[in-house]
Amino acid sequence: MNELLGALTLQNLLACLAGTVLGTIVGVLPGLGPAGAMALVLPLTVKLGPTAGLIMLAGIYYGSMYGGSTTSILVNVPGEAASVVTTIDGYRLARRGRAGAALAVAALASFVAGTFSVVALQLAAPLVARAALAFGPAEYFAFALLGVVLLATLTGGSRVKALAMVIVGVMLSTVGMDPLGGSVRFTFDVAGAQAGLSFIAVTAGLFGVAEVLATAGRPAEATPAARVRFRELYPSREELRRAAPAMLRGTVLGFLVGLIPGPAATIASFASYGVEKRVSRYRHELGQGAIEGVAGPEAANNAAAGGGMVPLLSLGLPFTPSTAVLLSGMLLMSVTPGPFLLRDHPQVFWGVIGSFYVGNVMLLLLNLPLVGLFARVATIPARWLMPVVLLLCAVAAYADNNNPFDVWVMVGAGLAGYAMRGLGYDPAPLVLGLVLGPLLERSLLQALTIARGEVSGLWASPQAALMLAVALVALVAPAVLALARRRAGAHP
Amino acid sequence: MARRDRWSAVGLALLATTYLVAGRAYPLDTLAVPGPGVVPLVAGLVLLALAGWQLAAARQPADEAATAGVPLAFTPLALATVLVLYAATLPRLGFGLASFGLVFAAARLMGLGGWWRPTALALGATVLSHVIFVTWLGVPLP
Repeated sequence: MNELLGALTLQNLLACLAGTVLGTIVGVLPGLGPAGAMALVLPLTVKLGPTAGLIMLAGIYYGSMYGGSTTSILVNVPGEAASVVTTIDGYRLARRGRAGAALAVAALASFVAGTFSVVALQLAAPLVARAALAFGPAEYFAFALLGVVLLATLTGGSRVKALAMVIVGVMLSTVGMDPLGGSVRFTFDVAGAQAGLSFIAVTAGLFGVAEVLATAGRPAEATPAARVRFRELYPSREELRRAAPAMLRGTVLGFLVGLIPGPAATIASFASYGVEKRVSRYRHELGQGAIEGVAGPEAANNAAAGGGMVPLLSLGLPFTPSTAVLLSGMLLMSVTPGPFLLRDHPQVFWGVIGSFYVGNVMLLLLNLPLVGLFARVATIPARWLMPVVLLLCAVAAYADNNNPFDVWVMVGAGLAGYAMRGLGYDPAPLVLGLVLGPLLERSLLQALTIARGEVSGLWASPQAALMLAVALVALVAPAVLALARRRAGAHP
Repeated sequence: MARRDRWSAVGLALLATTYLVAGRAYPLDTLAVPGPGVVPLVAGLVLLALAGWQLAAARQPADEAATAGVPLAFTPLALATVLVLYAATLPRLGFGLASFGLVFAAARLMGLGGWWRPTALALGATVLSHVIFVTWLGVPLP
């Protein structure tokens, strides 16, 4: 309990406030996502110390989920991929003069889901961590492999492209010292590359610099935001009555989806909308401005953000770019997430959990009265904002290791990220490949050594065999189904 | 899009081949005591296979959902040049001057008209980041 209350120190409260405000702004601004923003402030959070630093990073992560709905409802521009589905009914409600009610329900749904997911995280993470103590290298290899395969399958775009990006990420992770023997690889005699490619530089380039370049290539657009007065922020009793069941369904669904590797928040919001279309009493109104279309998806994406913290905190495995940055921050602060986190750093674990409760209350209090202000942030012209983002990217990349080579890495990653957008490649699988690459390599080589070179040692335990089987099915099933569908079409 | 997919598949195949050739320098040893060349070999071969898969898939009718596109325009290319110049001159010019130049050039390229507004933005951003990162956080910027 004392550790949980550790979140209430002045420094931690300020870190939480700064993180949640920054996260809301990032969520409001289309383009620069939470992962990019977290990478930019990583040098700053390292100086705050583990507990306050991680509280601030986590605040940005879940704050962005709150902020994403604001522009979806008021401007019809989703700040985050997870808020895309909120535009469907949220913007129509705004056009009918119910913007205030939609925003209030979105904030309430986020609060309910956020709080539920913290309680569930608090209960689930220690249990999963205890179960993970039985994991050996083969199980870790199988779980990490399952994660990247599911991510590639669930991103929604081309599976081949997503898998290729995972492999490119793994390839980039082999630059520098190998995780077992310590031999230096792929540095081409560049001294700055011996420590490997900076994760922050790659993330800042792929998300930050690429976004600036993409924005520079688009014609400037004026995005007028609807004005909302404070007294309009009251949903009617009927709206609350209709929103409550959707909120609860979205919360449970979102948390469960969050446990699955992949872009959980986005999938959860779409899945919740799909559920509402099937089970809601007012399903015929969905798509025309139904409050259920805001409450369900907004609850789901916030609960999924909490669910995604379970594999990170209990197993040390991140499956979204944001949790990958969080992992990177933890490692920079000498905190190793995984089964021993609770034993070795209880003050960090419970401090971060405690900050989720505080952060959710802060976000609710901030988002309702300041919603008009946050909506206006979305209208700041790119010509003022983007040059500053570029500078922050450069500083973040350099400050990671005080290494000018990392600035080159950031520039290279930015140009590659810009080209990838044009060619339809998602950078998220690359980032996860880069983060999980060393773990995949270390656990694969260790498992082979333990099995004395027998490849079957990788699936000798039932857990590893099950995870590898699921990964294989996820990999092969869509191709088999597509082939079967094509054959059925050819022979009707 | 199919044409772009074909070219990107060729690019991935080239990347995989280069990586495999460079990875030959690292020993594979045995499966019981695997060397540092094992994972690069596996990763390179898998990427090569995926590039082949992508090339085959690009022969199918174009998937409209995957047609993301960022046009090649003057401003992004000019910004990219500015970034390369920034990385090249940062160690010699130092953080202050190089960053002022980066923000100023980026603001002008992104359409911030006149001289005083880009100058004010560049000066403000550089001074503020210097105060936060150097003075407050003690990051030794060049």
